[in-house]
Amino acid sequence: MAMKNVKNANYCQIDHSIKNISQIKGVFILPSAEAWKKFRWTRKYFEKKPKEGYFVWVKKEINFPFTTCITIASSKVRQNLNNLLVIEKDIKVKANLLCNSARKHLRGFHKAEGKILLKEKASLEYNHVHQWGSKDIVNSEYEFILEEGSRLVYNYKNLLPPKVLNIKTTIYNANESSSNLNFVASGIRNSKISIKDKVFLEGENSQGNIKLRLVGKDRSQIATVSSIVASAPGKGHLDCQGLLTSKNAKISLTPELICQNKSAQITHEASIGKIAEEELSYLRMRGLKEEEAINLITNGFLNLW
Amino acid sequence: MKKTLLKVEELKVKGDHKEILKGVDLTIKRGEILALLGPNASGKSTLAQVISGNPRYRVEKGNIFFEGKNITKIVPEKRAKLGIALVWQSPPKIKGVRLSQLLEKISKKKVTFKEGRELLDREVNLEFSGGEKKISELLQVVSLDPKLVIFDEIDSGLDIKKLEAVSKIIKKELLNKKVSVLLITHWGQILRYLKPDVVNVMLDGKIICKEKDFKKVLSIIKKYGYEKCKECKLLPD
Repeated sequence: MAMKNVKNANYCQIDHSIKNISQIKGVFILPSAEAWKKFRWTRKYFEKKPKEGYFVWVKKEINFPFTTCITIASSKVRQNLNNLLVIEKDIKVKANLLCNSARKHLRGFHKAEGKILLKEKASLEYNHVHQWGSKDIVNSEYEFILEEGSRLVYNYKNLLPPKVLNIKTTIYNANESSSNLNFVASGIRNSKISIKDKVFLEGENSQGNIKLRLVGKDRSQIATVSSIVASAPGKGHLDCQGLLTSKNAKISLTPELICQNKSAQITHEASIGKIAEEELSYLRMRGLKEEEAINLITNGFLNLW
Repeated sequence: MKKTLLKVEELKVKGDHKEILKGVDLTIKRGEILALLGPNASGKSTLAQVISGNPRYRVEKGNIFFEGKNITKIVPEKRAKLGIALVWQSPPKIKGVRLSQLLEKISKKKVTFKEGRELLDREVNLEFSGGEKKISELLQVVSLDPKLVIFDEIDSGLDIKKLEAVSKIIKKELLNKKVSVLLITHWGQILRYLKPDVVNVMLDGKIICKEKDFKKVLSIIKKYGYEKCKECKLLPD
């Protein structure tokens, strides 16, 4: 599926074995277990001794994206990853991350827990792509800690979901920091997808935006709970939109705004709809078959990043 | 003598449980420019949508023939493949899809005209001005390499300069290539630029007048309005 990307990744793991680590000047890339031994300060973030996963410490600016690839390639593999990414002060980084299954019916289990620390005025574009087989189970839980003045753009895409996907993201925004989450997911077959995002606006003038675009096809079920919690005078906006293309699919969106500071400004919009008949007729009159027209409309809807 | 391209026979159509077309007869020959004039809600746009195959409307009676083939029950995509193209009056937005992507999917032939170049990287009909919508529609229909193009109110919302520019493209890309054209218009401004061979007037779901001299028809409508059309001297007794 995406094995061709493996060779070029800076960190590449297939099943439980590390296939490649390619070092970049100014960046430490290590297996998490080694980082735990070598850098005692990482223990604060790992919480417990990691078995597998990666540690990336960006100390100097790099002018190309670093990439990681975690793949399940064998049947019934159970991955249990602890990842840590640290971006030093004033450093700007782009990261491309792929987690996938090499084949459709491997019945794999992928559990990933991660912490991403952006130090003062650091900037990160974090492009995370999931591509799973129809019988995999995936639990992913990431925490982003944004220090003063740092910037995060977290783009997540999952157009090939596993049988069960639980993805949880928590972001802590300090003073003057900003986070933008752009999540795109498509439910297909019998997949069950649960997305939980929580953004804490803890610092003055912090900003947090969450955008979700979800398509429910076949007999898939998608449930999201997205929250913005403002305890400081920050700004946040939540924008959740779902599109159902099958009568047997289900999408449930739960936006939640919690405001604990009278100067904070947090807003939300949420909608779930079907494809407009007018759009379908328009594209069919241009010669596209009904299925082609539906695909074009849903791809456009999911074209968030 | 020119061959018949499209023939609409005694067409009765319902939409939203209401009878809209009440027995329409219309013939368009190859290379012919036909105009269809009428007031708002007379059924002009419905006729355009029904000829193009919009499943929203139900044909109760009558038939539509294209190049001799009965297409009354054919799906819209097949009608497009046969060579029928519609320029929408208010085309819908297709979010997240760039015009260039749509053209890549639908085009039978590569088309470029300078007015359309800057629209290619924009999402289809999203925040397009009235004029930009018309140019985008023209790019799409010309790229389909059609035999018949139906223009639904192409002249609405365009100033004189834009109307001239649009007419120029229609002449160059369609009329000069002998593509048949049905011009649906409320006000009739476009007719001064494209000079139809025959003008039809539609009132309350029926075509009540067919006339070759479009200037005569326009001047009567201007003078009396559509309300008085039924009493028009041009109508046969």
